[in-house]
Amino acid sequence: MYKQHFGKMVAFLLRFSKDIDLDTAEDLVQDAFAAAISHWEKQWPDNPAAWIYSVCKNKALNKLRDDKKMLRLHQAPEPEADAISYAGDFPDDEQLRLLFACAHPDLAPKVQVVITLKYVVNLKVAAIAGSLGMTIDGVDKLLLRARQRIKEEKILLVTPAPEAMQQRLPIVHKIIYLIFNEGHTSAEGKVLLREDLCEEALILTKAILDSQMGNIDTCALYALMLFNAARFKARFDENGELLDLEQQDRALWNPDLIRLGTHYFNLAKGPELSSYHFEAYIAYLHSTAASFADTNWQLIAQLYTHLLPNPFAELNYAIALYYAGERNSAFEKLFALQRSAFMNSYYLLNATLGKLYMLEGDHAQAAVYYSKTLDQTRSAAETNYIRKMLSKLNL
Amino acid sequence: MLLVREDLKKLKEYTDADRDLGVKEMMEWVDGLGANFVGGEPLWPDGRYVTKDAIVSDGPFIEGKEGISGYIMIHAENLEQAAAIAQSCPILQRGELEMEVRPLMITDFPNG
Repeated sequence: MYKQHFGKMVAFLLRFSKDIDLDTAEDLVQDAFAAAISHWEKQWPDNPAAWIYSVCKNKALNKLRDDKKMLRLHQAPEPEADAISYAGDFPDDEQLRLLFACAHPDLAPKVQVVITLKYVVNLKVAAIAGSLGMTIDGVDKLLLRARQRIKEEKILLVTPAPEAMQQRLPIVHKIIYLIFNEGHTSAEGKVLLREDLCEEALILTKAILDSQMGNIDTCALYALMLFNAARFKARFDENGELLDLEQQDRALWNPDLIRLGTHYFNLAKGPELSSYHFEAYIAYLHSTAASFADTNWQLIAQLYTHLLPNPFAELNYAIALYYAGERNSAFEKLFALQRSAFMNSYYLLNATLGKLYMLEGDHAQAAVYYSKTLDQTRSAAETNYIRKMLSKLNL
Repeated sequence: MLLVREDLKKLKEYTDADRDLGVKEMMEWVDGLGANFVGGEPLWPDGRYVTKDAIVSDGPFIEGKEGISGYIMIHAENLEQAAAIAQSCPILQRGELEMEVRPLMITDFPNG
């Protein structure tokens, strides 16, 4: 209940009166929940959500009265009369409204993700920090800075106009994509929590599709996430160690999710294709290939060209080229990336070079590149993977 | 484009290990930007300053605290968002560098 309603109630109070600021609204909602716990022990209300909303409203009124702002409240233009006489379940599109509100184009993508996790998904600060690989202090600081802007521009308060909602759809897609990717990136000991994030991303996307606010890009994004979610269980071995795509047991891939993904991928057909389309197509080819060797690497390589220029896509492009049999151009692309000081300190570039040299039978070179990654990896799972690969080399 | 500005004199005294550490931290940051990151590189502090009359070593900026030490290209919705992205750089947060945020003018300039 707390998780489902916290963000909505804060938004409800903000809209209820413009004299309530974000901090006050959050405090009032916290108070109302605290009051609920002691009251509900005695008597369970017929409609708990409505009970909390009305307590919030009363607390807000008291607060305003204390602040001697009652007069101003009455003078204020009616802020949505029907929202005040709240009864029954809050419409679910309140959550969508908040999602689009968080997709404010002036905020950095990371900030958009954090405030979406806080106000739309209703995660606590510690959970946000854990799932984004940030420190609690870091999330607090970021929220503090974001709050200033949220207050100044009433970001959670103002419902974007329908046209603005359409314009913000690509930002909403990106927020969801980032949330999913955060969940998808492996980190030791956080696997469960992170799958949770992927689920939230799927739920939000489905809500957009159900509300008819989505477009073909939304379908492509949904398909992409379903294909990736289908392969979750196979990404780690029984010891929780990271597995190569090649070593994954394809029988563990979830056929229902792949089928559902294919369904939405077909719905995503249209004249103008987004990066989600190309990524979904690549994920589709991986998910439906009978084996690693049977994968249509040629087509995958070609699809990656649509995601350029981006050094990370370039790296995947080179890998696909290698497996498509175009070894020389694969190495050329990787050497070109290596000339970039940034990419040269990226562990995945060096790990890829290690892997490909190993496949080419040049174990000495492979060892050089694998060793280079050891102080570039970001998690214990990645380091363990590299050590495992190093132990396989014949030196 | 984010023009990274810092103390070039200090950069000149960096060892390879210092530089690797800085580049690695920057890499982790741009990796976290995902699709917002397009490309970028650090620049060596040694250069030439060219005018109508002469080609001199380094030029006037080397003494300043705000010489250009690198560039980063990003995708952003608008200038505000680009500035918000720049602000999230951890090295910038520590006050060790500054960034100038400038939108690219799209022209028919013959890029390679």
